[in-house]
Order: sequence, then C-alpha cells, then structure tokens
Amino acid sequence: MIRHPEFAPGSVWLAGAGPGDPALLTLAALHAIETADVIVHDALVSGEILALAPAATVRIAAGKRAGGTQTPQWAIHEQLIAHARKGSRVLRLKGGDPFVFGRGGEECLALAAAGVAFRVIPGISAGIGATSAALVPITHRGIARSVAFATGEAGAEGADVDFRALGRAADTLVLYMARKHIGRIAAALIDGGRPSADPVAFVLDATTPREQVVHTTLGAAAGVALDLPPAATLVVIGAVAALGAVLARSEPAAHAASKRAAPAARRVGAAR
Amino acid sequence: MDFLPIFFDVRSRPCLVVGGGEVAARKVDLLVRANAAITVVAPELGRSLARYRDAGRLTHHAREFRPEDIDGCTLVIAATDDGALNGEVSRRCRERAIPVNVVDAPELCSFIVPSIVDRSPVIVAVSSGGAAPVLSRLLRTRLETMLPAAYGRLATLAETFRDRVKRRFGTLAQRRRFWEEALQGPVAELVLTGRERAAKIAMEVALQQDTPGSLSVGEVYLVGAGPGDPDLLTFRALRLMQQADVVVYDRLVAPAILDFAHRGAERIYVGKASGEHSVPQEQINRLLVRLARDGKRVLRLKGGDPFIFGRGGEEADALADAGIAFQIVPGVTAASGCAAYAGIPLTHRDCAHSCVFIPGHLKDGGELNWRALAEPRQTLVVYMGLHALGSICERLIGAGLSAATPAALVQDGTLQSQRVLIGDLASLPAKAAEVTMRPPTLLIIGEVVRLHERFAWFEPAGSVQATALRTA
Repeated sequence: MIRHPEFAPGSVWLAGAGPGDPALLTLAALHAIETADVIVHDALVSGEILALAPAATVRIAAGKRAGGTQTPQWAIHEQLIAHARKGSRVLRLKGGDPFVFGRGGEECLALAAAGVAFRVIPGISAGIGATSAALVPITHRGIARSVAFATGEAGAEGADVDFRALGRAADTLVLYMARKHIGRIAAALIDGGRPSADPVAFVLDATTPREQVVHTTLGAAAGVALDLPPAATLVVIGAVAALGAVLARSEPAAHAASKRAAPAARRVGAAR
Repeated sequence: MDFLPIFFDVRSRPCLVVGGGEVAARKVDLLVRANAAITVVAPELGRSLARYRDAGRLTHHAREFRPEDIDGCTLVIAATDDGALNGEVSRRCRERAIPVNVVDAPELCSFIVPSIVDRSPVIVAVSSGGAAPVLSRLLRTRLETMLPAAYGRLATLAETFRDRVKRRFGTLAQRRRFWEEALQGPVAELVLTGRERAAKIAMEVALQQDTPGSLSVGEVYLVGAGPGDPDLLTFRALRLMQQADVVVYDRLVAPAILDFAHRGAERIYVGKASGEHSVPQEQINRLLVRLARDGKRVLRLKGGDPFIFGRGGEEADALADAGIAFQIVPGVTAASGCAAYAGIPLTHRDCAHSCVFIPGHLKDGGELNWRALAEPRQTLVVYMGLHALGSICERLIGAGLSAATPAALVQDGTLQSQRVLIGDLASLPAKAAEVTMRPPTLLIIGEVVRLHERFAWFEPAGSVQATALRTA
C-alpha cells in the first residue's frame, strides 16, 4: 500500500473531493478524510463521501448553497485557523479541485498569514470529471486543441469574465455555475464570434446515478436550460460537446439515460 | 475466537441507550441505521441526539436510569461518563440475559460493536475484540478503499434478479457461473459507474443468452493515472488496475503507479519519449480493439486525465467504431497536480477569473488565437510547454501581454523530483536553458504565479536545487 504523508496535528489540508462519485476520490483525499479530526466541507461534497469519515470526526458544513445561507469566506478562514490552533488535524474538503474555482488560494493566503502549516491535495475538477462522464473529450485531435474554464455565477470568483474574448481564446469552453446566466453568456459568445450552431452539452449531476446529459446549441441553450431539472450543472461548449453523443454509440444501453434535445447530435470531425 | 460474529435484526425492536452525549449519539447513529425502536435515558441530550428526538427517531426519558428501563429490551448500550452507573446497567442486564454493551469497557460487555464498512445491504464488520481498536480502524480504511461505494447497489440489483436467474439456470454450478460473470464483469462496472438502468438492460440481455458465460466479453478502461504521485490515483483507477488482464501504458505513467496493476497482468508499453520511437496512435487504437476482442479486460493507462491532451477521445472513437464497450475514468490532470504541489492556484479572486489550457506543441492542429490568450486576468497553462517556451513567451508579449507577467515551469510535478522555476515572460526562457529543465514540464503563466512564494508547501526529498531555482 501507499505510504501517505503525515497529517500533522495543528495543520490544515485543503483537498479536492472530485466531481461527486466517491470512487473518484484520490487515495490522498481518502487518507485525509480518515485521519482528520475536523472536516470543514462544502455543500458540493456528497453525504456518501462524508460517510467515509470515522463517526468521531467533527463535520462542519461551510458550504455555499445556491439560494441558501452561506458562510462568509472570512468566517471559514477563522474556523480553519481556530481548529488548527487547538491542535486538530483540519481537513478543508471541497468539491472538485481546490485551486480551480475553489477559492483555495484565498484560504491558503489566510493560513499562510496566520502561520498555520498547510498542504494542498488536488482533485478532479468538476469540469473535467463531468465531461469524462458525459464522454465529451475536452481536447480532441482535429476538433479541439485548447480548453477554457470559467464560472458564470454573478458574484462568484471570476464573475467579470469577458465572454466575448473567452470564446476566442479556446476551442472548448467548460463553464461552472453558468446555467442561470447561460442566455447572457451565449449572447456574448455569439457576439464574440462563436457560431450560434456551436454544440452545447449540459451535464447534470455528473458522475452520480442521477447523471443526465442534454445536447443543444449555443443559440438554443437559454431555452433548453429553462426546462432542465434542478441539479448541479456544468456547461460544455464547442464541437466536442456533440462528440459525447457520438461516442456513446458503442454502449447504447450504458447511455440510455442520456437525453438529447434538438438538434440531434451529429458526427463531428472524426477525420480519419 | 473470543466473540461470535453475528448480525442482529433489531428492526422495530426496543433498544435502550443510557447516556445523552456524543458517545451515545454515535451508538444511536448505528441503531437508527438499523431501524431500531430507540429509547434514550439521560437527564439531558446533546445536540446530535436532540436532533434525532426532534425528528421523532427516538424516545427520550429526561431523567436518571431506573432498573425497570431495561424491561423488554432487545439490547442495551451504556454510554455515560459515570463508571459506576455503566457498571450497574451492565450487571442488571447480565442478570436478566439481556445483551449489553458498555462503551470503552470490554469487561462489562456481553457484546461488542465492530467497525463497519456499510455498503448496505452488504455490511463488512471488523473487530479486534477490543484488543486494538486502532488496528480495526486501519483495516476498515483498507476495506473502504477496496469496496466501491456502489457495492450496495450492486447487491440490490442482484437481489432483484435472483428469482429469475434461479428459474433461468437449473443447476447451482450454472447459477454460480452466471453470478460470477455478472458481479465481476461489465454489469458490475455499469453499476459501479452509476449506470444502473444500463446494468439492468445488460442483465436482461444476459438472461436471454444460452450459456451463463456469455457475459465475458472484453472491454477497455481508459483511465487517467493522475500527474505522477501515486497518492493522486483515484479509487476507481486502483480497482480497475487490480482487475485488468492487460495494462497498456505510456511514458507519462510513473513506475510507482504501474506497480498497482494486478501481478499477473500483461504490461504493454506504447510510450513516447522525445526522440524515442513511439507507437503511432492508429496502432494503439488497433491494439486496444484486438485485445478487447480476445476477451481481455484492457486498462489503457494515461498520465493525467485521458481527455485532456491525452488523445483519449481518439481511442474512445476507435473503440466505439469497433463496437467495444469502454469506460472513461477521469484523472487529476497535470495542471491541477502541478498547481497544488507548486502552490499556484489556477483561479484566484483578485487576479485570475478564467483558466485556459493549451498544448505546447504548437504545430498540433494549427494556430492558436494569441490575442485572446494574452488576457491579463486569466491563467494560461501550457502542457508540455518546455520545447516551445521561447516562442510561446514571445508570441504572448507580441499579442500585448506584459513581459513582466509572472510564469512558472514545473518539471516532474507532484513527484519527489519536482522542480519549480519562477520567472516572467521575458526571463523564463533563458533561465530554463541555464538550469537545463527537462520534460515533462508544465508552464503556468499569470499573476497567480506570484502566490507560489507563499504557498510552496511541497518540499521534495532532494529539494535543495528546487529551493535554489525558486529564488533564482
């Protein structure tokens, strides 16, 4: 077995819990979950994952729930520092990857300023786990050689992205929390030069049993988004978004749950 | 054997817990999961137990323990911090042959509560008979890692098909063969990756076949091995490595990771090191198809994530064309791994609102839009960025990005041999030549690189040079 690094009392580990499926936790993250005295977790971390911690572990929800109460960032910092100073092994567990739209940077700054030792355990970012689950290759020879990640939530880290420019920066766009504002974002992308026929995939509750993929186009995305059931949603834009439906052809049963919206996904590229 | 391991049906049966604190709450957690009819006797309830009371999950008597409390109980747990009281509860129960557990006092117990791995309906219980609770907890951790969380759902699915399988296959041997195939093969994989509907369809199909062995067809797992540190493997990757018949890997997979593959598994290297002969992609695709058609479970192991510059899409496409079942297992991509281990967030409130990954081999698939990439409030990550480093920095400056934009080269990210070289667009190419950086290297460009100085927590074993590089 693996020899894990020592989780020292009085230190904080910032770990990514990955996209949702507990099987996509890293060995390091599970070791941290098993060893921590205190786990401060986001709303995005599933109960299935939290259940892996021993019963005695103190669990503190510090999530940001859309529409619900949210713990201010400074309060999370204070909590992490206070528990570490009491000599606890503190695990800050975040959905996805702590350094990709996880505000891990802010937390590290606070810990560094307070002189608390920390370690960062990367996770599979939601954007990457979700696209794999949807069989959408973010990069694909001849179709997509670059990918941009951004968030679409007003007020969130990175809220003031210039989507007109972002649409030109990369072939594939992966957008976090972009569902609510997809109309505005799609308009900016089209304005910036992306075709309104650009394929779009909404990936809902990725890597969980409730996962669902809905294919559409940039022009139709706002309308389609209105009809989606409530779920953690990731938006993939670009030619590869249509490829998912194509790759699913070998396992029709496996993707029986995938739902296709108009227009029907078509075979893209596959230049062979 | 000091104790007889048994599983006890307490559904709707009266169970008593004496004590209202956190220790009692942990025992109540278990009783709640087992659907017992719970009574708690304690002058006061802690927060967790009060929640259960408010939710109607337990009956609370707010007073001291009385001997008649144990009347009619199926089992009793004493979890107070009063040793004398715990002893009294234990004695009275034993006198009346009521099973009793006293927390942290094995000598007062007539039964003990094991560590469990709950994959309901599958439950694994571990106990050291009170001799070494930490050892049983460690063992439990290992079991947690070996049993995917969805194992319970697999058991539930099996249950729903049990009668039909019995009717379909007359002999015990046939049924056993069928179940062994189903619970280790593609059906299990579908359940474990959360595709239960598909698993049901596959079971239906299998039941139509003539022989119970017909499920054993080859399949391919396209698996991301993460950035290098074996600790960054996912559980799914680990599990598939241990069940694959063949592992097809390339040079970006660290040897320490390959060690996790099942010992009997065949290993095929299709790597590409710079200047070394590599197997063309077409040939890899054909190899995967051929191995799967031979009925093998093929693990295609790739550094990082299979879909991020990993050409996993091409392989998936070829497999789909050939009608071969495959699954994609995402991995921690090099950008995430290097960012964490070099202490450079890829997004940050003050300075990076988006993040773009581009390939370092610029001839790959034509020109990039350098003007759009030269965005100051964006982090740019270049995979395999060493070779074209000079040209990339030049183009970004030419497109309007400040020459003073910080940039970092991370070599062997997350490994003990990790080196981090910090500079800016103007200075980095010359510095990299001076200290002879070698691939694999990830290039990170943007204001976030400034945070490295304060965030560099990872000190690899031979990091003297790394430290020197950092201050260079």
